[in-house]
Amino acid sequence: MTVVDLPPPLPVRDKATAVERAWGGVSPMLTRLAAERATGVLVREGGALHLDGGLVTYAESPLALGLDALLTAHGTVRGEVWREALSRADEHRGVARFLLSGGHLAEGALQLCHLAALYDAAYFALAPSSTPGRFRYGVGHRLGAVVPVPVAALERETLRRRDLLHRIWPDPRPDQAPLVRTRTAAAPRLTGRQQSLLDRIDGTRTAADLARELGRQAFHTLVDVRRLAAAGLIAPRPSPEPPSPPTAPGAASAAYGVPGPVPPPPGAAGLPPPGLADPPPPDIAERLAHTTDPHITLLKRLRDALEAL
Amino acid sequence: MPGIDECLLEAMRLPGARGAALVDWTSGLALGAVGESPGGDHETTAAEAAELARLAAEHGAFAATDDPGGERPPVEDLIVSNRDSYHLLRFVDTSFDSSVFLHLWLTRAEGNLALARIRLGEMAERLVLG
Repeated sequence: MTVVDLPPPLPVRDKATAVERAWGGVSPMLTRLAAERATGVLVREGGALHLDGGLVTYAESPLALGLDALLTAHGTVRGEVWREALSRADEHRGVARFLLSGGHLAEGALQLCHLAALYDAAYFALAPSSTPGRFRYGVGHRLGAVVPVPVAALERETLRRRDLLHRIWPDPRPDQAPLVRTRTAAAPRLTGRQQSLLDRIDGTRTAADLARELGRQAFHTLVDVRRLAAAGLIAPRPSPEPPSPPTAPGAASAAYGVPGPVPPPPGAAGLPPPGLADPPPPDIAERLAHTTDPHITLLKRLRDALEAL
Repeated sequence: MPGIDECLLEAMRLPGARGAALVDWTSGLALGAVGESPGGDHETTAAEAAELARLAAEHGAFAATDDPGGERPPVEDLIVSNRDSYHLLRFVDTSFDSSVFLHLWLTRAEGNLALARIRLGEMAERLVLG
């Protein structure tokens, strides 16, 4: 064992393939909305994207902290200041304008935090889903324009982030499940951030809960969670009873060892679907999930390898 | 009060500046970039610089001794020099959760490393404090 524990390299996007994959790979509907310069909100299973003239101005997801939460969590902006700005914002002058003109926040800090929150929530909003998204034409987000992001850039980054998580640890289960601590013989030296995350793992909290409690970006928390999982320090809590209903979009098909109609790309398990077309009976799903049949395990490995391409 | 682009453009006014970017070192995302980039692609440069920044920030060997394991960036800046240029990475300390640094690329013939280091530190502070 060497002294340092090198994290895997950050993936570098291959532009040609990324463009190809982004085309319909993330959300064909979003690509179309960008082309027609639509204004409104795209609601998907994992979250919502706000568009203004075809550019993404805000993203939100129940799994990620919003801009408000990121700014108030560590006292950058006081809660009452945010609420006041929110109540005074209207169609023409967004929340951002009030925060800046009131001197509550520097423009650079607002832009930085806004971009962080936007990419963070978009990662979850653009996760593979089992239901189509809905778009409501309307007005821009109440925040107002801070730094609008082109759809193509957002899709590329989302794909790159999936790759990044997959390279750290290819099992996406720790992203969603309650986490437990596990014993390991040779624990690597942890960063302060990882340690404070580890200290809060108690068998009930999920990565999203931890991000909320610590006031951190959800994707950054996933990076730490996957690293801790790779180091053998944490694991998703094993479900006490047979999984019913399936907990991830790919769970049912994964149990059968074949890709489902919407195979989730590695590193980005979607949210629990409202209902798969034909979920297997729980006892069969359970049996198949833990099967040692060499044919099924071979198919699973083949599927994992194909998804990792 | 400068935004991200103004801050990067200000960095580009330093003698010998060839390119500047603001990068998230956890994800490798370039939040903003101006000027040239080694190899011609800001996104690739950002991902590679982010790796270096993360190694420096996460290994205890380089951390300040007064606040080990704290939430603030443990490293102030990183300097990489080669035969024809300097790279200067300045960590940005924010009161909200983030992991970003400013990356400035200077030609060696015209760049003044000491001046750039001081100015970039000031810019990083002004970016978040106004």
